[in-house]
Amino acid sequence: MIRANAEGNSGEPVTHARFRRMARMRAFDEACLDALRRGVIHGELHVGLGQEAVAAGMAESLRPEDAVVSSHRNHFHALAKGVDARALLAEICERETGLCRGRGGHMHPFDPATNFSATGIVGASLPVALGYAHAFGMQGGDAVAIGVTGDGGSHTGGFHESMVMAGARRLPLVALVENNALAISVPFSEISPTATVAERSSAYGALGLHVDGTDVDAVARVFAQAMDHARAGRGPVIVEATCHRFRGHFEGDPEGYRPREERRRLREQFDPLTLYRARLEAAGESPDVLDGILAAEKSGMKTLLAEVLEDEMPDPAGALDHVFTDNAGRPA
Amino acid sequence: MNNRLANDRRAMPLPATIAEAIALEMERDPSILCIGEDIGRAGGVFGTTRGLLDRFGRDRVVDAPIAEMAFSGMAVGLAQAGMRPLVEIMFVDFIGVCLEQVYNAAAKIPYMSGGRQRMPIVFKTAGGCIGSAAQHSQCLWGLFAHLPGIKVVAPCNPHDHKGLMAEALRSDDPVVFIEHKDLLLRKGKDFRHHPEVPDEAYTVPMGKAAVVRPGTDVTLATLSLSVEHALEAAETVAAEGISVEVIDLRSIVPLDTDTVARSAASTGRLLVVDEDYLSFGLSAELTLRVIERLGLTGLRQVERLAVPDVPIPAALSLEKAVLPGPDKIAQRLRQMAGGR
Repeated sequence: MIRANAEGNSGEPVTHARFRRMARMRAFDEACLDALRRGVIHGELHVGLGQEAVAAGMAESLRPEDAVVSSHRNHFHALAKGVDARALLAEICERETGLCRGRGGHMHPFDPATNFSATGIVGASLPVALGYAHAFGMQGGDAVAIGVTGDGGSHTGGFHESMVMAGARRLPLVALVENNALAISVPFSEISPTATVAERSSAYGALGLHVDGTDVDAVARVFAQAMDHARAGRGPVIVEATCHRFRGHFEGDPEGYRPREERRRLREQFDPLTLYRARLEAAGESPDVLDGILAAEKSGMKTLLAEVLEDEMPDPAGALDHVFTDNAGRPA
Repeated sequence: MNNRLANDRRAMPLPATIAEAIALEMERDPSILCIGEDIGRAGGVFGTTRGLLDRFGRDRVVDAPIAEMAFSGMAVGLAQAGMRPLVEIMFVDFIGVCLEQVYNAAAKIPYMSGGRQRMPIVFKTAGGCIGSAAQHSQCLWGLFAHLPGIKVVAPCNPHDHKGLMAEALRSDDPVVFIEHKDLLLRKGKDFRHHPEVPDEAYTVPMGKAAVVRPGTDVTLATLSLSVEHALEAAETVAAEGISVEVIDLRSIVPLDTDTVARSAASTGRLLVVDEDYLSFGLSAELTLRVIERLGLTGLRQVERLAVPDVPIPAALSLEKAVLPGPDKIAQRLRQMAGGR
């Protein structure tokens, strides 16, 4: 059996690592919801509950030198890339100890150390990932840039333009489309000219792969295939992972576009942790071991949140810092 | 020999000087690369990147498709990957299709990252009127200056283009570098203000205005092509006994209020000339900063001359009617000096 790489607990079987990653991601966003309820997080919060298998499946194929540029729903991708969970949570909780000293907030985490960044503008991750891909192409290694967006982002002009440029130059770019079938309220089926996003890949000379994004094993396998393709210099890839968003587009979304029962049905049928658990138990895995993983991740994240909430808020005296390197250009 | 060289330099078209500045920096720093439409094979529609493709190859001189969203956002990713991209937006008017990447990404990421991610990007573009009507004639430096996080330069002579381009490429902050199409198309000998251009690389700091003509009656602050127009107007009214101090701002962000305020304090009169739109722009901003510095009674007169909030018309007769050309500037100077 293959072993998990970074972020899984070392030496544990890959099944445990996959389950643990998903459990950690779920615990992370549940901690965010907790912080939101306590009034610690302001503005729109976008959690990824229900979409854990996509980022967890991606994580295994990522190397430190690869780059991930994510979207407004970015927490799981950051964890997958190895961004420090404490610094990320502190940023989301708007603390000076946060990844970006509380200036970015949950939609705008930037971590040069792990080549991770995000954008709050739908679809805008692709052009930035394209830049990494061009740099990687020039530098001659086999690093890959991953641009993450949703089905909504796949319709943007920037997505198309980026795929055109990456295809023409055969750049190592993987567009990961988390297709949760809803662009806020608008169903994918109503606005997409094609049944899938992956099938658009032929227009760009790209490889198109489609995967069930609620199945962490399938995502890990397909994503590895995509990364191999890009690493080998065979050009860009679109990986479309279909999945379900369990909560609103943002916390506070009244979700008038789908009935409550529909949400319940999705949770019951497509929870990636429940699905994976059933598979592992059917193969003889002990429920206690899995419960242990869930409990450990949950309590670990609780502790982390408690710690982060003790951290200082940014000093208002620094509100104007970091606009320019030399602090020039301010009205004198 | 030196004279001949200097003469050759004076005859050298501005685009060649800009291409030379970029080449010198690319030679010095392998992390610099250029991306844009028609910048490689064609050498740029104005020739400001001529010769770079042959010298530096297609990885560092990227002939991009008409895909500004992709390649301006690409610059952000390149910067995050440790490179120093120069992006050419052929005409500044086209920024409308990719402003997102400039103002939401490049301009804000240094701040949003708490200073942990720098954005050494130059957005090089051509602005200004040359009779090309509403979608190919704007200046828009006021637009960029309004958005926090971007430095904005608009030089007026070959010397400053070369030095400010080097400075912009060495800066760790995003810089919008606005060339004026009229200056790009002008013969070297036709520049009124043409300080000698050294052969070697050098920098001109952003945020330092230059007094290009000393005077005692009126302070005229402007930039880009309007410096040429201001000098012409100043010469015209000098024959009528009016002495005008002409200041080339060189950059809008940072804006050198000190130099303008010092001059205005001594002349008592300030005229700001701006080829950009009048309202909510450079002329109001600079005027107010000077007043803040000198106090409400520190000046006898304050005037501004800019494009009066109208799209640039196609017909030359109409274009002339809305632009702050030399005649209008001279007229305004006379009115101001007459009010003493």
